[in-house]
Amino acid sequence: MTTANDVLSALQSAFPGAIEEAKVDPERQLWATIKPDRIVDVCKYLRDNHNFDHYSGAAGVDRIDEGLFEVTELLASHGAHQVVALLKVKTPRDNPSVKSLTGLYWNANWYEREIWEMLGINFEGHPELYPLLLSDELMGAWPWRKDYKGYPDYNTAERAIEKVNPEGYTDYSFTPTEAEIKAGTVPFERPKYPTFREREEMEIKGESEMILHMGPQHAVVPGPFLLDILVDGERVKKAFLDVGYIHKGIEKIMENRTYTQGIPITDRLCYMAALTNNEAYCGAVERLLGIEAPERAQYIRMILEELSRIQSHFLGTAEFLTLIASAVYSPFLYMIIDREDVLSCIESVTGARINHSFVRFGGVRNDLPEGFKDMTLDTLKMIRQKTEEYKELFSSDSIYQKRMEGVGVLSPSDARRLGVSGPPLRASDTPFDMRREDPYLLYKDMDFEVITRKEGDSKARVEVRLDEILESCYIIEQCLDQIPSGPIMAEGVPKRIKPEPGEAYYRVEDHRGEMGFFVVSDGSEKPVKVKARGPVYAYFQALPPLLEGVYIADVVAIAGSMDACTSEVDR
Amino acid sequence: MVLSAITEFAAQEPKIYGLIIGLVAAAILASVINVVAMLLVWLERKVMGDFQARYGPNRVGGRWGVLQLGADAVKLFTKEDVIPRGADKPVFVWAPIVAVATTMLVAGALPFGAVIIDGKEIPLVVANMDISAFYIEAALSIMAISAFMAGWSSNNKYSMLGAFRGIARMIAYEVPMGICVISVAIMAHSLNVVEIVQAQSIWFVIAQPIGFVIFAIALITDLGRMPFDQTEAEEEIIAGYNTEYSGIRFGLLYFQEYIVMLLGSILLVHLYLGGWNGPVIPVISFISPMIWFFMKLIIVLVALIWVRVSLPRFRIDQVTDLGWKILLPLSMVNLAWAVVVGLYFA
Amino acid sequence: MGISDVIPLPVAVDKELEKWTIWGRPLTDVWFTTTEKIHEIIDMGPIKNVLNWGRKNSLWFLMQPMGCCGVEMLVFGCPHYDCDRFGIFPRATPRQVDVMIISGYITRKYLPAIKNLWEQIPEPKWVMAIGECAISGGPFYDSYNIVNDTSKFFPIDVFVPGCPPRPEKFIEGFRALQEKIKQREDKRGY
Ligand code: SF4
Repeated sequence: MTTANDVLSALQSAFPGAIEEAKVDPERQLWATIKPDRIVDVCKYLRDNHNFDHYSGAAGVDRIDEGLFEVTELLASHGAHQVVALLKVKTPRDNPSVKSLTGLYWNANWYEREIWEMLGINFEGHPELYPLLLSDELMGAWPWRKDYKGYPDYNTAERAIEKVNPEGYTDYSFTPTEAEIKAGTVPFERPKYPTFREREEMEIKGESEMILHMGPQHAVVPGPFLLDILVDGERVKKAFLDVGYIHKGIEKIMENRTYTQGIPITDRLCYMAALTNNEAYCGAVERLLGIEAPERAQYIRMILEELSRIQSHFLGTAEFLTLIASAVYSPFLYMIIDREDVLSCIESVTGARINHSFVRFGGVRNDLPEGFKDMTLDTLKMIRQKTEEYKELFSSDSIYQKRMEGVGVLSPSDARRLGVSGPPLRASDTPFDMRREDPYLLYKDMDFEVITRKEGDSKARVEVRLDEILESCYIIEQCLDQIPSGPIMAEGVPKRIKPEPGEAYYRVEDHRGEMGFFVVSDGSEKPVKVKARGPVYAYFQALPPLLEGVYIADVVAIAGSMDACTSEVDR
Repeated sequence: MVLSAITEFAAQEPKIYGLIIGLVAAAILASVINVVAMLLVWLERKVMGDFQARYGPNRVGGRWGVLQLGADAVKLFTKEDVIPRGADKPVFVWAPIVAVATTMLVAGALPFGAVIIDGKEIPLVVANMDISAFYIEAALSIMAISAFMAGWSSNNKYSMLGAFRGIARMIAYEVPMGICVISVAIMAHSLNVVEIVQAQSIWFVIAQPIGFVIFAIALITDLGRMPFDQTEAEEEIIAGYNTEYSGIRFGLLYFQEYIVMLLGSILLVHLYLGGWNGPVIPVISFISPMIWFFMKLIIVLVALIWVRVSLPRFRIDQVTDLGWKILLPLSMVNLAWAVVVGLYFA
Repeated sequence: MGISDVIPLPVAVDKELEKWTIWGRPLTDVWFTTTEKIHEIIDMGPIKNVLNWGRKNSLWFLMQPMGCCGVEMLVFGCPHYDCDRFGIFPRATPRQVDVMIISGYITRKYLPAIKNLWEQIPEPKWVMAIGECAISGGPFYDSYNIVNDTSKFFPIDVFVPGCPPRPEKFIEGFRALQEKIKQREDKRGY
């Protein structure tokens, strides 16, 4: 088994002098600072020789006191070993530039685009450095830099200028005020690039082709995004994706809040997975603080997270059903009913239906109420039975089979290359589950199976979800059996959270895949940087290549089977 | 006295008399059909609610929510009527009217049950044509044209896709449906719906089970209901051909769907389920055919709603595949069967 | 102008007619009427009550989930909460709806699109702001990308606070809107 120390020593011998500083902390994480000109070589070496085939993201940090930008690349492996390599590259604040990894990892594309538009770090060799989340008028303002003073802007609405365009609709522009121009917080010179519309119109080749806009308001998924498909008749030739319609700047907002105030914000990252987002964030901060939650708290967290996984899978499958059937398709409504039952279990503990803010640094907010065990066991029994029924229904419904079989096939190698995780990856015959891979909480003591399917099509993805519901039921039952009594908060957690300077990365298995939080602290009350690495971001990036050559009706089937959540993509 | 005056007038001016009677009958028919269609929308919402573990409308008009559709109609008919820029205005305006007019064409030839007076069965039909089965079949397919008018004139990509899908589907399914009607006619030795009903001493659903299934599938396709609602698949192409319609025009298109559903089910009942045939109920023998007819009709309607809430949607290529590759050959088999059986029993 | 100017009538009849009224207005006023006048008259009379009864009992809303509140909006249409009871149900195209629900954060990028949607809805129409984000920016009030005062852009009739409001609150919001329509107190005056 490869350990982080092995990788480090191999790196040091292969690239003498390229590694500036390095440490292993905790045992499975390798932190290293690499010379800027060697980063591509190091990553290539790691990918080819040490199985680092999973690029799980990049984070840009503004070290304003040192006059530096840091870009941290997160590399991991799809099950060959459990080491996470966090490779740092430094670049000066004026004229920052880093070598792009898009040549090595296909899915580095979006992560680097995001860092470019938010921080203004140029990526040499990136093929399409276009804005991703921001609207055009904010380009060049680099909102994630620490010296960005244009906002918070309490009256964005007041500055909006309405103009009626030739087509009769209203356009808005947010022109800068005098003061802002003087302060230099708004861009005068925007970077030059073709806009989204121009880029897609360049692709229209023939008379019979047209672009069909699905979105931003469309019945495809909960949440606005723009999916433009270039169609020839009923066939999709190419797909373009524009996200950022609900970009809230969560990562920047969290920099302006104290650590504890950050927890409610993580809820809103992806509203279907509020509890696991809490867990990931709190886990990262716990690592910084060097504390661990007591056993009972860990069990409570596990129970709630699995319950939350059940409700999320129900909703995801239900939404998917509305897409291939319609909103009057009864199983969709039955699933919502089942989900309500699960929600009432969660609600009896956390008091909220969707946004819980329940996990705390070193514990949980409150204990399980009386009668929780019986209530949950009853619900689980019902859920089991219902899920079996759904599985039977879908496997006997020939229209359903016809619609789903062989649609949107992701081969195992493609799925890894595109960087997806969670149920879509497992449906492509890759048993990659953080609960097994990088066990957090007490999952290492639990007996459960990692569900996989061979086919990799939309049907397999839904089946994986339904099977995971059963598996979660099993985990919860074990937890309810074994849960010890004891405190629910760790001893000695300070009221004011002030971690030592340092960085931590903590990853958990979200309902949709690998969710990681990268937190940087400088010893003050507020984090320097919080980076959320979400699974849906990866799905979205993988969506356009999947859609080429399918029918229009399959577009919704594929997009739906991914179980996307726009809010987490946009953040 | 009034009666005698009318008969006198009828004798003197038969043409004008016929015209007046026709207009009155048409007015009665149109209003009855519209009211029944509204009740059908309400029924659908209620029954759908029952299938889905909810109540359906239950606030407007008592605990059954009967007036819900009245409210919907008032709202739709007083809403702003938007004709989008770039739309082909005359076609856009006429499409809903054509749609509703064709349903009235169908209604004119379709018997709505029968009554027994003096031991004689009198079918309730406005125009008792010789070829009514074929005429109804033809008039039903005009609907696809109105849908195409609506979709094409709206200047909207979704609408256009919906319209194309509608035409592709119509071509694939009108043929098997027509063949089924022919098979029925061969067995009944008539193309007149009234005579077809009277010929069913054994219901044709028993005599031609394959034909019944094909006809039912083709009918659902014609109605554009699940699992064949590709023309207005909400999740793919917003609302299909009526995406750009609003207010009263949308109201017409919306009610038209239900009128067609009603008429189509009536046709199904007549062709395969023995229309108003049934044992005479002693005390109320006067309307006993009506009772049988409505019972069958309601069963068919509820079955249609049941199908709608429990099946996912086909993809458009699968729909045309099904039509051309499976239903068409099967309907030919059914035709052969009908010819053999028909000749044998004749 | 009397009626006899248009239709030849005996002067006595004309005099008599001038005394007649319809809902408190002279008949002659109604006789020579314009579209605006018709609207005025409808506004006063019981016809308006009938129209508003229809409108309030048939509020179709635009399916446009935007944030966490969007999930609750979805649930609001499903069993347990079942908005169909009140004649409320979702449609996907803006041309056929009456109510737009702002169910989450409006960003600078999304604002033009959502305004277009609003303009595409035919009259009479209403808009509801659901959730803290739609009211004031909510937890993201200090973001660089969020429009935190939605009421500057939309004539919002009903605000439903909560983060997210429960589906029951959605029903409450719709009931409030219905009451407003019935009392003719909505912002756009229907
Ligand atoms: S109000 Fe709260 S729950 Fe609703 S969209 Fe905003 S953050 Fe999400």
